[in-house]
Amino acid sequence: MGGAGGFWVPGPEGKGLQAKISDEGSSLHPLLPPPCIIQSCWSLHRAQRALLETPSSRRLSSQTKTTARRRSQRIRSIGKLAHVQASGYLEEQTPRTLLKNILLTAPESSIVMPKSVVKPGPAPQVVQPSSRESSRGSLELQLPELEPPTTLAPGLLAPGRRKQRLRLSVFQEGMDKGLPLSQESRGNADASSLTSSLNLTFATPLQPQSVQRPGLARRPPTRRAVDVGAFLQDLRDTSLALAPPGESLTAPVATLPTDTVLEDTQPFSQPLVGRSPSVHHSLPCPSHSGAEDAERAVSHRTRSTGPRLQNNSPGKPAQLLAGKAEVDALAMNFPNTSSSIFGEVGVEPLQDGVGGEAEERTEKSLSMSKVKEAARARGSARAQEPEGHTQVTEAEGSQGAIETKEPEGSSGDCPTSSRRVSPELASSTPEFLQAKRIQGLEPAPPPSTAVLPSEPLEPLSARLPPRARTPGPKACQNPYKTGLSHYAKLFSFYAKMPMEKKALEMVEKCLDKYFQHLCDDLEMFAAHAGRKTVRPEDLELLMRRQGLVTDQVSLHVLVERHLPLEYRQLLIPCAFSGNSVFPAQ
Amino acid sequence: MEEDDGAEEQQRFSYRQRLKAAVHYTVGCLCEEVALDKEIQFSKQAIAAISEVTFRQCENFAKDLEMFARHAKRSTINTEDVKLLARRSNSLLKYITEKNEEIAQFNLERKAKKKKKSEDENKNSTEQAEAGVVESEN
Repeated sequence: MGGAGGFWVPGPEGKGLQAKISDEGSSLHPLLPPPCIIQSCWSLHRAQRALLETPSSRRLSSQTKTTARRRSQRIRSIGKLAHVQASGYLEEQTPRTLLKNILLTAPESSIVMPKSVVKPGPAPQVVQPSSRESSRGSLELQLPELEPPTTLAPGLLAPGRRKQRLRLSVFQEGMDKGLPLSQESRGNADASSLTSSLNLTFATPLQPQSVQRPGLARRPPTRRAVDVGAFLQDLRDTSLALAPPGESLTAPVATLPTDTVLEDTQPFSQPLVGRSPSVHHSLPCPSHSGAEDAERAVSHRTRSTGPRLQNNSPGKPAQLLAGKAEVDALAMNFPNTSSSIFGEVGVEPLQDGVGGEAEERTEKSLSMSKVKEAARARGSARAQEPEGHTQVTEAEGSQGAIETKEPEGSSGDCPTSSRRVSPELASSTPEFLQAKRIQGLEPAPPPSTAVLPSEPLEPLSARLPPRARTPGPKACQNPYKTGLSHYAKLFSFYAKMPMEKKALEMVEKCLDKYFQHLCDDLEMFAAHAGRKTVRPEDLELLMRRQGLVTDQVSLHVLVERHLPLEYRQLLIPCAFSGNSVFPAQ
Repeated sequence: MEEDDGAEEQQRFSYRQRLKAAVHYTVGCLCEEVALDKEIQFSKQAIAAISEVTFRQCENFAKDLEMFARHAKRSTINTEDVKLLARRSNSLLKYITEKNEEIAQFNLERKAKKKKKSEDENKNSTEQAEAGVVESEN
């Protein structure tokens, strides 16, 4: 095992690496408990470098190309996994972790249902790295992977996720009664799936287990990304087959996503709301797995990329993001969920908070809508300082491509994707600060601080009232406008009196100009310093000009005052044991 | 020490007042010109307000310029800093860039002249040296 290094390198090829890591980690060992997160992060960074070094230097010469390639693949995947796990969870080969791995990768089907749940294409790739970690159970799960998602009646409920598992079991009982009918209708094609499903000894009691294990039930349903083509195909196939039985299921299914969305801790989950009902209404049975996968993939891709990105060393993001969105999401989801299962303190809020950074990085790989959704999910009230130069640089890089897009649309964009009129009111400092941060990091809907009366804007409380009213379809219409409309709604909420539509439109216009102006300023500041990427220094200069940061009040003071504690440890460099500073400077 | 501080403060204060007075006078002159041009009268309070705003804005400008220079990791304020400061107003920015180019050209010409002069001087000095050497030899 990797000792204090914190991740398990499998196989004989990794032994040298393990030895290296354990050597590095041995010095950290006595100090394990509190700063273990940071240590693991640090050691992971070093190990990452070691990982990259070893294949290139030592092994390639001695071994065949295939093994080297495999190792590089594995190393990359491990690196990704490790980075995500860097948030604190030290992966170990225990039955608990194995079971967790199995549950994560298991297809969503019950023993009763003959057909197994779909596993889209990337799943096998993802399962492989994870299976390397959990050698035992997951191998069996790879069997039913590419089967079309046919019987998804109980799986249907999977979109319910989170706390819906308890209801799912109840629902499933009802479904089981209806099962024999559907099974018969399907015919002999199920025989193979039956046999394969029998092999899934570990995966079978997915829902009932959740009832017995509330801790796992709370686990976010981060699964695989959706192969859109296969998903649509499945929808078409199953819609015909399951139209009659599916009708009865629409009602309960429809309620589930909204419930989960409302229970969602992330403030800006509107896109999910918008997406999931539409998806579910169309095709309850077959779409469940796809939809849930899509939602999960979306929500957790961004979320998982958040911590992953955050924990990554500067060199990592491009690798992780470019191209392998699905695989990455899955790989990340896996350790991500594991970490969340075991209640890592900072992970969840970090995910939310880091979302801004995550968006910036994932900008290129993710679709705009997803980015926007992530931006909204992240940004919320958490004005975030770019954690490190890396994220801002990534954001800057994508800014050019996204310039025309609205704030949240260009979330991955430079910190200030949205532009507004120059700040009029510097008085409402907290709101302003949030505005700066959010703009600085994400184009996510900036609070309409300039126009709001100087009231103490509590981020969460501010978000809650408008969130309940957020319409789903509207969120999908115009990504450029969605963020602005959100802030306009906030404005109307704080106005405490009814507002005309025209007034709201004017507010939106003003906010738009304001954020545009802010973006331009940041860009000019960066250019002034001879850089092409916007950095935290630029943001600090902007805030200084706004009067938020003074000689008496520094940026760190503002961070401490207005941001949650989790962001503080992300933004303010702090020295940790082992002669390491986090975040790296 | 306290007396010195007090004296310094007084000195600074009086210096500030003199600066303000100078600004006020300049603003007054400009307002007179505009009044003649547009045939509009300026009240004294208006001129005082304008001069006060100008003074405060100049303070802001100075601080911003210093911040910009520090942001670019320089210890001297540059024309680039000034341009960044003036970016808000398009016409002003244009004017400043034109002036900047003029000054740059002027400096180049100056440098060219200086080079010529120095070359000539060198020639003269060498000639003189040679002449001196020749003379001494002779």
